[in-house]
Amino acid sequence: MAAQPKPLAFEHPSYLHDPGGIWSWITTVDHKRVAVLYGITALFMMAVGGMEAMLIRAQLMVPGNHLLSAAAYNEMFTMHGTTMIFLVLMPLELGFFANFFIPLQIGARDVAFPRLNALSYWVFLGGTIFLHLGLLRSIYGLPDAGWFGYANLTERMYTPGINVDCWDIGLLILGVSTLLSGLNFFVTIVNLRAPGMTFMRMPMFIWAMLVTTILILLAFPALTVGLIFLFADRFLDTHFYRVSAGATPILWQHLFWIFGHPEVYIMALPAFGMISEVIPPFSRKPLFGYPMMAYSLVLIAFLSYGVWGHHMFATGMGPIADATFSITSMLIAIPTGVKIFSWLATVWGGRLRFTTSMLFAVGFLVEFTIGGLSGIMHASPPVDLQQTDSYIIVAHFHYVLFGGVLMGILAAFYYWWPKITGRFLSEKLGKAQFWITAWAFNATFFPMHFVGVLGMPRRIYTYAPHMGWDFWNYFESVNAFILGFAFLLFFINIIWSAMDGEIASSDPWDARTLEWSIPSPPPAFNFAAVPMVTSRDAFWVRKYGTVGTHGVAPAIAGGAAAAPIGAHAEVEEHIHMPAPSLYPLIFALGVFLMGVGCLVWTRLIIMGGAVTVMSVIGMVFEYPSFGKFDPAMIAESTLGLDHRKVGMWAFLGSECVFFASLISTYMVYKDRNLGGFDAMILNIPLTSVSTFVLLTSSLTMVLALAAVQRDDRKWSVFWLASTVLFGCIFLGGQAFEFTDFVMQGLKIQTNLFGQTFYTLVGFHGIHVLIGVCWLIVLTIAVARGKIGKDRSLAVEIGGLYWHFVDIVWVIIFTLIYLMRTVKHA
Amino acid sequence: MRSVSRLNKFVGSGLLAAMVFAFFGCGNFNAPMQTFASGSDLAKWITSLYIQITIWDSIVLAIVLIVLALAIFVFSTREGDPTEPHEHESDLMLELAWTIAPALILMFITIPTVRTIMRTQPSKWPANAITVQVHAHQWWWEFDYPGLHIATGDEVHIPINRVIHFELYSDDIIHSFWIPALGGKRDVIPGQVNQITLIPSVTGEFYGQCAEFCGLSHANMRFRMVVDTADGFKQWVAAQQAPPVEPQEAAAKNGEKIFKNAPCAICHTVRGISGFSKQYDYGFRGPDLTHFGSRGTLAGSIFDNNPKNLAMWIQDPEKVKPGARMPTLGLRGTDLHDLVAYLESLK
Repeated sequence: MAAQPKPLAFEHPSYLHDPGGIWSWITTVDHKRVAVLYGITALFMMAVGGMEAMLIRAQLMVPGNHLLSAAAYNEMFTMHGTTMIFLVLMPLELGFFANFFIPLQIGARDVAFPRLNALSYWVFLGGTIFLHLGLLRSIYGLPDAGWFGYANLTERMYTPGINVDCWDIGLLILGVSTLLSGLNFFVTIVNLRAPGMTFMRMPMFIWAMLVTTILILLAFPALTVGLIFLFADRFLDTHFYRVSAGATPILWQHLFWIFGHPEVYIMALPAFGMISEVIPPFSRKPLFGYPMMAYSLVLIAFLSYGVWGHHMFATGMGPIADATFSITSMLIAIPTGVKIFSWLATVWGGRLRFTTSMLFAVGFLVEFTIGGLSGIMHASPPVDLQQTDSYIIVAHFHYVLFGGVLMGILAAFYYWWPKITGRFLSEKLGKAQFWITAWAFNATFFPMHFVGVLGMPRRIYTYAPHMGWDFWNYFESVNAFILGFAFLLFFINIIWSAMDGEIASSDPWDARTLEWSIPSPPPAFNFAAVPMVTSRDAFWVRKYGTVGTHGVAPAIAGGAAAAPIGAHAEVEEHIHMPAPSLYPLIFALGVFLMGVGCLVWTRLIIMGGAVTVMSVIGMVFEYPSFGKFDPAMIAESTLGLDHRKVGMWAFLGSECVFFASLISTYMVYKDRNLGGFDAMILNIPLTSVSTFVLLTSSLTMVLALAAVQRDDRKWSVFWLASTVLFGCIFLGGQAFEFTDFVMQGLKIQTNLFGQTFYTLVGFHGIHVLIGVCWLIVLTIAVARGKIGKDRSLAVEIGGLYWHFVDIVWVIIFTLIYLMRTVKHA
Repeated sequence: MRSVSRLNKFVGSGLLAAMVFAFFGCGNFNAPMQTFASGSDLAKWITSLYIQITIWDSIVLAIVLIVLALAIFVFSTREGDPTEPHEHESDLMLELAWTIAPALILMFITIPTVRTIMRTQPSKWPANAITVQVHAHQWWWEFDYPGLHIATGDEVHIPINRVIHFELYSDDIIHSFWIPALGGKRDVIPGQVNQITLIPSVTGEFYGQCAEFCGLSHANMRFRMVVDTADGFKQWVAAQQAPPVEPQEAAAKNGEKIFKNAPCAICHTVRGISGFSKQYDYGFRGPDLTHFGSRGTLAGSIFDNNPKNLAMWIQDPEKVKPGARMPTLGLRGTDLHDLVAYLESLK
């Protein structure tokens, strides 16, 4: 390790120091503290998921084992997958590292929406608990249908217990949390970068997170829709995945994998970013091929939406679809190859330092390459037919997610831990952990390629002897326990470091990015003075003068110039940090209660809903800045736009995918309807009138905003009230339409038309209802003089939402009402 | 830090050696479900493609590992060296090269892939093809030969060198039909009829298994496929088409009575004795037992078919196959013995 500069004394205590005790953690909105909460939860879940893996391996150690029952084994592999993906990898990457380091790397004081960040955490915690809620009823209460829970096995007819209920609702809750985090980080990166930090000057980790958040915004709604359908099937007796009504369980696979493949990159891209942060400082070189690295991230993300079918080659999509999905999947190899080779080129010619972090980064390069290459095999449909659902797939995704993503996370742990806690993790223990992991990981998962080639299907709790699988399974299990031991070392290292680790300076690795310019651990406000960025690798340039080091007089290792930016500068006087808030926790509690209500007592849903709504209202009016233009904030923002507006745009982008999924389902199921009611029941004249009314409300909304902006209270109220009135007329028309249909006998359970129509139009109606309530609040606030010109932003954002809902209706009206062609299956 | 490079080389060459072993070692020991298979035209096409892609993959992996090992070997020695590394941030030719070269390799993979897709998913098959309707149930396989009026469970016979056309049906949830030796798997999806067409080219007995997770006893949903010679298949068909054997021994005769009177007959067909209505109901269909005694295995092909195993199975199906739909009838002693004797007599 480089010689360290003397730690600088700071007057300002670190973010960890707070006399408020546990309460200050519960009400915290500081991104660093929220990150620590995420980290602790995710590490705990990592231990749980690891134990589940150990049980799986213990069961498979010998053929015909009776250690676990079939039911217990099915729960273990379901929960191992669900836990590791949703409760370990994603929260560690997004909740922990991205949360902590996005603001630090872009020179910001916090994320764009600090309370929303805390809210994401508490909702995540609620979802985590909810997934395990079945344990309260029985030890066989855990979800047991696999982490991708294929319909129609998940129908109540085939899985009657509470297991899949907890899985369905738990994932819905976790989806809310992830979506809000994604939204928050997206706005943070887009709008909160320090002055001078253009897109092409962002650290590669920030690039990776930017692309990841876009993936989250555009992928998660598809899962949400799939889970809502499953919920309806299980609780309302609809037929979204039931063959008896003409539906097909394949719908779930499409919706799930449209989410599921981007999800792979939601996990992989942050790890790519972490590796891109770790390799340069330990090679003492800038990242090779920065522009290509950034573009390849974007290209991977773009392609990832066109490849979901490669999870479904065995379903018989037909040769054309197979060939198309095969080619798009293989194309992903090109940008991924660019990344691998660019990392190699970064290492090449460097002055390498093999810290534990660098070792894990090298491990990542090897293991991820193996995982990526076996992925090319599965992208070839004929070969995939011999491989899918066999152990070679298990080997593949463990090489990608463990050898790739988790090794990337471990590299990040050893690299960033000193910044987070101000103490080093033990390098000695770390290196021991790395070498044991490197051996045991490969010894556990590489032989899975062999048993896969030898034809062992995945997800079987028992197998026959003499299939050629016995030796390798035994070997894998033994090594899996060794792998478990390596993680025990990791946990020991963390606890030891937290209590007695070596104190770290602000820039212990002689690194390149802004987070190393501030003390370790950072003060609550991060940067005493907002840094000015003039190039890539901003901190390095500040220390040494150029991006590379070529031609510069050799600097003293560690850099005498490495004084933290702002350390000697006066702390800016007007640093305004958001106040702590309890509402995020209350919101999460409300959501959790609603979930529990679905399982046990319907009235609890209403109570939980009330708690949720009240916490939202409380949150809105908690800060005096509600709806206010903040010229300082807009001036500091990168786009020159208010965060809240950018956030609303991002949210609406996500909503597009939500409605697109619902509309596609309607269109697909329209022709599979088994008769009975169909689109001919729709009352076009009536709906035309209400459509006209809704469109008019967009006009009045525009007039309302104009009136508010010129501070004309009378007309503001008039136009806002008109908008509310038109919205209500529309809702009234819809209520009439629905009642009329129900009276005629068309219920949500009746047939495919009924269920898709009611969900699509119903969810749109709920959006209108929320909009109307929102507008009523605005109208009252305007009437009472609370909202004037200076707070017109509140009206503007409400207007954005309202216009979006209107546009969606135009699409629905055109596709569902005007273009109703009826064909019976 | 030289140990790093050594270890990396060691690991690298070890991995390659292991792959080679996986390739060529398979034939040498008993691995009846291995996927580098050549039991049919379909399997041969897939294996050929499989090997091509594996070779390309190995080449790329070797390049990456060698470059990485070299980089580590050469540049880890610089620790403590005061000279600064060169500022080498981009190189257009190099970057173009590692974009174009993988694209070219992908062409060598994609073209045979698309050709194999078109070959292996024919939309037509000859009129004289033998059609086998495969019905997947939780958790056993039923095989119907619509042209031959035969129904079996757990065991399917096909002749060599004839076009076999499998039609895949599911009455409950999604399963996946897989006989590795004869080619790739295909999901069995309710509400949709999938197909596999192939020409078996080797006689013998092959193992198959459900490959899509289908609930509690997914692991216990296996079957066997016997590829016969043309004559052997003809004999088998004739035997299967024959009416059930009249029980001769006293025990077997008594067993037939028990079979008729116990709930067995509700779900199980023995032609001329009992019949399950063709209208499939969820969970209530058991295998056709007309020629049960001729089969090699029972209960989703998880046990060899012998009187001891059959008695164990009938006594407590749930115990040996979790979630099994067959109820425990509480048969003991002579009743059990006679029923077993009857069933085993149905050759």
